[in-house]
Amino acid sequence: MILSLSWKNIWRSKKRSLVVIGAITLGVWALIFMIAFYNSFGTAFARNAINYEHSHIQIHHPDYLIEADVKNQVEGVPEIIGSIKNELLVKAFSGRQKVNGMIASTKTSAGVQIYGIEPSAESGTTSLEGQLLEGSYFSKIKRNPILISAKTAEKLGVKVRSKIVLTFQDIQGNITSASCRIEGIFESKSPKINEGVIYLKMSDLNRLVGSNGINEFAILLHSNEQIELVQERLQSTTENTVRSYKEVAPEFNLMEESSVITKQLLTIIIMLALLFGIINTMLMAVLERTREIGMLRSVGMHRRSIFSMVMLETTLMGLMAGPMGLLLGYLTISWLGSRGLDLSVYSDALKEYGFDAIFYPEIQNSTYPMLMVVVMLTAFVGAIYPAIKAVRLNPLEAIRKL
Amino acid sequence: MNVIEATHLVKTYNPDTIPVKAVNDISVEIKEGEFTAVVGPSGSGKTTLLNMIGGLDTPTEGSVIVNGVEIDMLSQSELTDFRMNNIGFVFQSYNLIPVMTAKENIEFIMLLQKSDKSLRDSRANELMEKMGISETSKRRPSELSGGQQQRVAVARALASKPKFILADEPTANLDSQSTESLLDIMAKMNEEENVTFIFSTHDQRVIDKAKRVITIVDGKIESDETR
Repeated sequence: MILSLSWKNIWRSKKRSLVVIGAITLGVWALIFMIAFYNSFGTAFARNAINYEHSHIQIHHPDYLIEADVKNQVEGVPEIIGSIKNELLVKAFSGRQKVNGMIASTKTSAGVQIYGIEPSAESGTTSLEGQLLEGSYFSKIKRNPILISAKTAEKLGVKVRSKIVLTFQDIQGNITSASCRIEGIFESKSPKINEGVIYLKMSDLNRLVGSNGINEFAILLHSNEQIELVQERLQSTTENTVRSYKEVAPEFNLMEESSVITKQLLTIIIMLALLFGIINTMLMAVLERTREIGMLRSVGMHRRSIFSMVMLETTLMGLMAGPMGLLLGYLTISWLGSRGLDLSVYSDALKEYGFDAIFYPEIQNSTYPMLMVVVMLTAFVGAIYPAIKAVRLNPLEAIRKL
Repeated sequence: MNVIEATHLVKTYNPDTIPVKAVNDISVEIKEGEFTAVVGPSGSGKTTLLNMIGGLDTPTEGSVIVNGVEIDMLSQSELTDFRMNNIGFVFQSYNLIPVMTAKENIEFIMLLQKSDKSLRDSRANELMEKMGISETSKRRPSELSGGQQQRVAVARALASKPKFILADEPTANLDSQSTESLLDIMAKMNEEENVTFIFSTHDQRVIDKAKRVITIVDGKIESDETR
């Protein structure tokens, strides 16, 4: 009886109820969209950082983590290469020799990180060749060819085939210099790479630093879900330190944590707006019915029934609006998730932070039932004050308002 | 048999500031089957008296016994149940539930009493026939005339077979024809089914139909005439 009365009461003022239902639907949709959009930021950032910078897993000598020096070489390189090659979940890997140094042109100089690489392995791991804007990929210049980013090239005032001088410490700690020629200019999707990484053939760099080793392995897997497993397996075969990209770059954890907080804040803000909307509307609905509620109390309806009636009205509206919002959100995210949300208008700014201009909103399926619970809880809480107001009405109101 | 025994009823509003005695030491007994009109000028205390008899208001002094139960000793919840099972209310503004049909309105209190569907159905049909509103059973209050709405309200009050019906100015919003028709129906219910009616009214037509007229002035019974 209460359920039937509540249902009928909802449709007593169709416009008002539709506004409430619409507001809840819109709120849920907005929340799904915001969460999915925010997720896409995190995913895009991680994707670019993995594909163009850190890869999924890196291996270093334990001392390299304390002092990133050329002398801290990975131990047992052939065994490690063997283990990586035996690992079916690995898509590609690249061994690197990394040293810090200075790059100087006739115009100016700048600090850089010099990556000595095997060109084909690096390209397979970070798609470096595909990022070339000008020049060629270690194929035309024979003596000390290097690749530099467009940003560094602009800073130094150099172009393809320009000569530059690299200065760095060799493995003995002596300062050494080398004249190199720019073979290609690239633009990476990683701001850090663009900012100050240059690539040299590993054989050239090793000759210059007086080493024949590797101080970093970057390993790209087929999927993010396999990181832990592969990391464990590789770690069991070596004394070197095997780390996931999240351990290599702690900013990922920071970003994930801030993402969680931001999404929670968004949820709270949207739900608060919804909450006050519900309170306002339901309070109006109750106060409009003062005489009727008084009559119901007069003729024998208990306070708990009046309370349930108002609570049910809101709950029913939430039950209608929640799934509609979820469905709308699901359809929007499915559509945008496959087509992408084009933010090319902001591409320059996005590039600075390592983002592509197209985002693919995504949301975990488990978020939908959780949101439904949050919406129902909001509707429920929103109905409490109007329901209390209704039960506190004196039945005499019915007669006094004659 | 007395359905209502009100003894030395006093109702004082604003007792701590400017006390106003709306009802001042009224004692009255209503017997089963009476058709009583409580009359008096505005502000004389008729509605307050009816509210106390109906358990909607509590007396400052005195007691109300309905069907052997001292109602001012009941808790709020017990009083709610007591009203549901023993008292029928008819209001000046009908106070039907706008989202329900006429028949649903009539069945409403029986629903609160958890009566079974067949009983509700037969009682509602019976009352609608007696009230002459069978054809309006599926209409909502907004689709009914004032007279029809008040007949639905009376049927609702009668549906649960209460000990008595309290009607506060039931004809105040009705035209002459509707008033006559409603009074005839209520008089018929009183005669045929021995239903006890207590009205507060200004309406001379109601007063003329009443078998007993209690006149209240300034919160006191001025006269109590049985015809």
